[in-house]
Amino acid sequence: MLWVDKYRPKTLDKVLVHKEVAENLKKLVTEQDCPHLLFYGPSGSGKKTLIMALLRQMFGPSSDKVKVENKTWKVEAGTRTLDIELTTLLSTHHVEMNPADAGFQDRYVVQEIIKEMAKNRPLDAKGKKGFKVLVLNEVDRLSREAQHSLRRTMEKYSSSCRLILCCNSSSKVSEAVRSRCLNVRISAPTEDEMVRVLEFIGKKEGLQLPPGFAARIAEKSNRSLRRAILLFETCRVQQYPFTNNQAIPPMDWEEYVSEIASDIMKEQSPKRLFQVRGKLYELLTNCIPPEIILKRLLYELLKKLDSELKHEVSYWAAYYEHRMRLGQKAIFHLEAFVAKFMSIYKGFLISTFG
Amino acid sequence: MDMDFPDLQELEWLEANNSNFQDDVDFDLDFPPEPPSPPSELEPLRDSPEPKIPSFKPTLSLPPKPSPIKTQTNLKKRFRPDLSPDLIDRGDGRPTGDPEEKRSRVDNADDEEDEDWLRYHPPRPVAGNVDAGVAMSESEEVEERVLSRYATEIDGDYLPITGLDGERVYAKICGVECEDRVKKLDMRGDHNGLSREPIRVLMQRVEQGEFSKVSFLLGLMFLDIFKDCRVSQQFYYSTNLMKEENVRHRKEYNIFSLSSDNAESHDVDTQKCPLSLTSPKLVLATSSHGRFVLFLSIRENVALQASVEVENDVNLSPAPVDPEQLWVDKYAPNTFMELLSDEHTNREVLLWLKQWDSSVFGSEIKSTADDTLSALKRHSSAVKHSKFHARNSFGSNRETKLSKENFRTHNYQNQEKNQSNDIQEMWEKKQKTVGHPEQKILLLCGPPGLGKTTLAHVAARHCGYRVVEINASDDRSASTIETKILDVVQMNSVVSDSKPKCLIIDEIDGALGEGKGAVDVILKMVSAERKSDSGKEIRGQEEHSGPRSSKKQKNTSLLRPVICICNDLYAPVLRPLRQVAKVQSFVQPTVNRVVNRLKYICNKEGVKTNSISLTALAEYTGVFHIHFLFSILKQLLITWKKIIFTKYIFHSFCAINFYFILITAFSPPAFQKECDIRSCLNTLQFLNKKKEALNMLEISSQVVGRKDASKSALDIWKEVFQKRRVKRERQCMNILNNMTNELEFLLSLISNRGDYDLIYDGIHENILRLHYYDPVMQKTVKCLDNLEVSDIINKYIMRTQQMSLQVYQPQVAMIIHGLIAQVDRLNIEWPKSFQRYRTVSLEKMDILRSWQIKISPHISRHLSTKSFAEELISPFLHILSPPTLKPVALHLQSEKEKADLAQLVNTMVSYALNYKNLQSGPLFGGPRHEDVLEGSLLSFDPPIEDFIKFKGYSSCHFVLASAVKQLLVHEVRKENLSSQSPRSCMGIATVKKQTSAKNISLQVQNGLSMVQPLTKEASTLETASGKVRLPEKTRKLLSSSNFFDRFRKVKSDGSENVNQNVQASETAERDLRPLLFKFNEGFTNAVKRPVRIRDFFL
Repeated sequence: MLWVDKYRPKTLDKVLVHKEVAENLKKLVTEQDCPHLLFYGPSGSGKKTLIMALLRQMFGPSSDKVKVENKTWKVEAGTRTLDIELTTLLSTHHVEMNPADAGFQDRYVVQEIIKEMAKNRPLDAKGKKGFKVLVLNEVDRLSREAQHSLRRTMEKYSSSCRLILCCNSSSKVSEAVRSRCLNVRISAPTEDEMVRVLEFIGKKEGLQLPPGFAARIAEKSNRSLRRAILLFETCRVQQYPFTNNQAIPPMDWEEYVSEIASDIMKEQSPKRLFQVRGKLYELLTNCIPPEIILKRLLYELLKKLDSELKHEVSYWAAYYEHRMRLGQKAIFHLEAFVAKFMSIYKGFLISTFG
Repeated sequence: MDMDFPDLQELEWLEANNSNFQDDVDFDLDFPPEPPSPPSELEPLRDSPEPKIPSFKPTLSLPPKPSPIKTQTNLKKRFRPDLSPDLIDRGDGRPTGDPEEKRSRVDNADDEEDEDWLRYHPPRPVAGNVDAGVAMSESEEVEERVLSRYATEIDGDYLPITGLDGERVYAKICGVECEDRVKKLDMRGDHNGLSREPIRVLMQRVEQGEFSKVSFLLGLMFLDIFKDCRVSQQFYYSTNLMKEENVRHRKEYNIFSLSSDNAESHDVDTQKCPLSLTSPKLVLATSSHGRFVLFLSIRENVALQASVEVENDVNLSPAPVDPEQLWVDKYAPNTFMELLSDEHTNREVLLWLKQWDSSVFGSEIKSTADDTLSALKRHSSAVKHSKFHARNSFGSNRETKLSKENFRTHNYQNQEKNQSNDIQEMWEKKQKTVGHPEQKILLLCGPPGLGKTTLAHVAARHCGYRVVEINASDDRSASTIETKILDVVQMNSVVSDSKPKCLIIDEIDGALGEGKGAVDVILKMVSAERKSDSGKEIRGQEEHSGPRSSKKQKNTSLLRPVICICNDLYAPVLRPLRQVAKVQSFVQPTVNRVVNRLKYICNKEGVKTNSISLTALAEYTGVFHIHFLFSILKQLLITWKKIIFTKYIFHSFCAINFYFILITAFSPPAFQKECDIRSCLNTLQFLNKKKEALNMLEISSQVVGRKDASKSALDIWKEVFQKRRVKRERQCMNILNNMTNELEFLLSLISNRGDYDLIYDGIHENILRLHYYDPVMQKTVKCLDNLEVSDIINKYIMRTQQMSLQVYQPQVAMIIHGLIAQVDRLNIEWPKSFQRYRTVSLEKMDILRSWQIKISPHISRHLSTKSFAEELISPFLHILSPPTLKPVALHLQSEKEKADLAQLVNTMVSYALNYKNLQSGPLFGGPRHEDVLEGSLLSFDPPIEDFIKFKGYSSCHFVLASAVKQLLVHEVRKENLSSQSPRSCMGIATVKKQTSAKNISLQVQNGLSMVQPLTKEASTLETASGKVRLPEKTRKLLSSSNFFDRFRKVKSDGSENVNQNVQASETAERDLRPLLFKFNEGFTNAVKRPVRIRDFFL
């Protein structure tokens, strides 16, 4: 078992990072007044951990007893019947799912499956009717139609069902949905917080941490706690008695992106763009999300860039990310960004050095 | 079968020359033949040939008028002495060489002609013949008066002979036609003279397959030519003369010479007889009577002529054209010669069809061929001999003629020899292939509108088949198709007793799914035939060959030719078919041919042009003059049977030129590129409907003519990336206009294709390979931005299903074209990388997903599939391969190492990972680490290390030694077993506490670390199954249970079979005898001691 899992706080009490949030959630539960919730924050900030702890707070340890169910739903959509396969995680009190996995058909998932689930009200052992909790992951990946149909469901079945939505960016969740939820922002943990966590783990594991080492890891980990802990464990595995200047192994794909970035900086031509395209394809093929590639690429480029260009380049990166979101073929947009950057950079070089 | 079709160019040349005769022809018609010498003595002697002679006489005898052109007069002058005296009195010694030979030939023929005649026309009334003959002679003598009188005579005759078919028609014609009466009457005389009996006989024979269709067809054609008018005959006659003079060395003209023979009805110009003999088809046609081949064919022709004319007259005299008919149908070629498609293709198809002859029509043809060959030889020698004889006896006052004659004879003999050789070769080949061609299916492919279907139909009919067509509009499911094909291919239909069927499957590539049924069925049949003879085939064969040929029994399932027609040869459906079929791809016919046909049609439809076209004519005629004139003439002659001739031909000769221009200037895409006859015709018809007269301006401004061409994606990419090379003069004319034209073209091209996704993938794939001047990459940025736009539009359309927005897609390509189109060529590649990316990433996504499912939900619920690749795998791989782990035996490891190992194993188990032996290890395991080859063969089971393998990137991951991996494999397996064990045990009985064994091995730590997941596992399982409730106490016990407890379960689980046995034995004989379990897997040095089975279940 990885440390990430091993030292994951099981209850709201044990939470190390977002203590205030945990406190608030606890209050919500004790007051028996739990609205729909929308957790949002960058990955590795602890959303899921908090949700699990919340569930445990609500239902007790039985919420931990989950099973995976891979079920095919038959949905009547107009004239035809759709078969939608979706993996759900079930316990007696809650259901977790990722409706965005259904792709184009996520709308039906939201409309039908959630509706059906929400209708079946669970009965307590004491005959007291409780409510089910529906955890929807990656709501921001839901299509607009799905989000629209979600909002009606949320109102209609609010008596029997609570939704906990979880996403990375609330901006991609429609306003209507957001306004129906209690928005809980889970910010990325600060480096101090991460250091505290790492030190806690180190203590538990009985490790000697040289001063500043945890800070280095925290710095490297891009403010993702999961990553920090993974890196920490990696370091531990690679070389135990930690030394202060111990190399912290980088993420492979990030290394690759920085290679791309240096390629771009070296030469700006269609030919080079063609090579870059090949590399981008490599990344995409390995399931690295294009937005993250773009973000990382921008980051790498900005590191090497003259400061007067930074603003413009960032603007265009945002522009192309937006278009990537509108479009389907990520490679078009990534490539367009690279081309744009090359163009800007080359123009800059020419104007500066003649 | 090689037939001698007239070479196009020669024909054209001839036609060109002929055109000069127009005026003369007119004269000829006006002036009656001056020498009215009726060979009346001959008439009583011979039955059949005689009527013919007089009938054609007027034709042959030329007017004394001096023709305007020098050469023509010359020709005519020579022409006349040849013919007229011959006509006047045959039998007299003639000073010219030609008549001599002719005569001898005729004499020769006469002997057996009688026999033939008897055979073919036994019931014919002689009186009618004579009558006709007399009438004929009379008509020649007195022109107008006789005509009218004769007409009345005919009318009188009309009633008694009504019983026979043709006569009725004559009467009608007489009523309608006035000016052509003379001719008509002559013809009529012919018909009377030649009975329709022989037609029937001939037809029967043809149907029985004894006749080669080609000869029949040739005959038909000639008949067509000469049927209606004498003008044409004269044309042809003069053509012949010219030919003799100028193009004697070309062998193709035998058709014409034959036709002239025909026209003059074997008493005139016998010198041309050998010409006709050079065509093997004719020889074949006559079956065994080799010597009288020519005669027969002539007679056949004339006889057929009669019937044809009857039909035609019936059709045409009242209403010449059905105005509502599509021109495409109206002017579809009916005979082989009319086909517009490439000659070579036509012949290939015909040859293939002919190769079926022996199996379909039986093998008589073979013997016939031999017969005829010998007969042919005999005949030719006889002819030669007779010629020489004639020459000797009559001396020569025309040396030139003689020498020419001589020369020609040699030529013919050579030709004959060659052709007989050809035939023999062919037959040998045929015998080798046992009756049917090697590839039993013909696959015709080519772009639409080139006449594939027409060719298939015409060729099949030509070869004597009845065409059965299955096209896209028919039901094409496999079952129906199969019955249909079987029906056609194996059965002898009862209804069409004589004609075998030929199956034509049209648009075989068009239908998806269903259409595949046809392909499958055909393939099945072909392959079945290849393999061996199954029962059905034999039956089919017997059914087939029983009545037909008793000679050979072939084990064939496909007994009839099957022609498949497709547009796209490389359609995936056709892939299997391509291998077994003979593929014949169509090439576009030359523009001239198309243009000619169109002109001809214009003429016939009476479309007029104006002076603008006329002026343009001057420029073009210089180039195409000969070509177009000739083919028009030819086509006119061929299709005359449909209309009344005279008016049209003169009218059309004048108009031809205009139309030529009209059509060449018509519209570039339809004509110069596609040569799609169908669309051309449709356009023409449309234009005709709109206005009677057309001019250039209109045509060039017509948008209608544009074919709705859907091109392949590759072509579209080429168009997008490539600038059209524009001719300089046009360029300077107006660039702007040009530009818009080009863009319009592109727009229509792309929107016709429609597959925008593919198109933009292709553009994206290839765009960076172009070489365009782009210093600051602004063009590239623009192009890519536009591609983005197309992508965004596409997604929007897909999301909202507003397909109408697709209209805006082509513009993107147009912008790109405008930005970066180059003049130079480039090789465009099919877009693969995006598809590859999509499939591979989907695969990898699947791997991740299935991995995530395998991981216990407590861990996996915190991870999204994306974050696996993004955050987890890279450090995870580091964690999984600690460099500190040494490949040492377990008991030699220090406590710390053991703890590490245990931790590692635990991690692997909780993440459902293990090492797996790669089957294909040597392929890429070898080069990586030679020293740890075996270890590198072991890779992670969900292949997670693939996710960090980027091309051109070397990761710095430490790879465990093989021994360590092996160790890990065992440990993990053990752990897995132990984590499963509680399940099975709990399923059977509640686990109770065991006495803790003191013997704590190295796995103790393992065990302890295992405790937590174990309990979880147990509890979840228990709740899930809901069977047995594990008391709290027990759980505690379990959690605190020592290693040994678990280990025993491992044992019990270690081999599934044993476990099964355990369960069985538990119920049956529980305490009967102690069972000894030995758990001897190599890695453990754990306790081995005898245990009673009931100990497990206490």
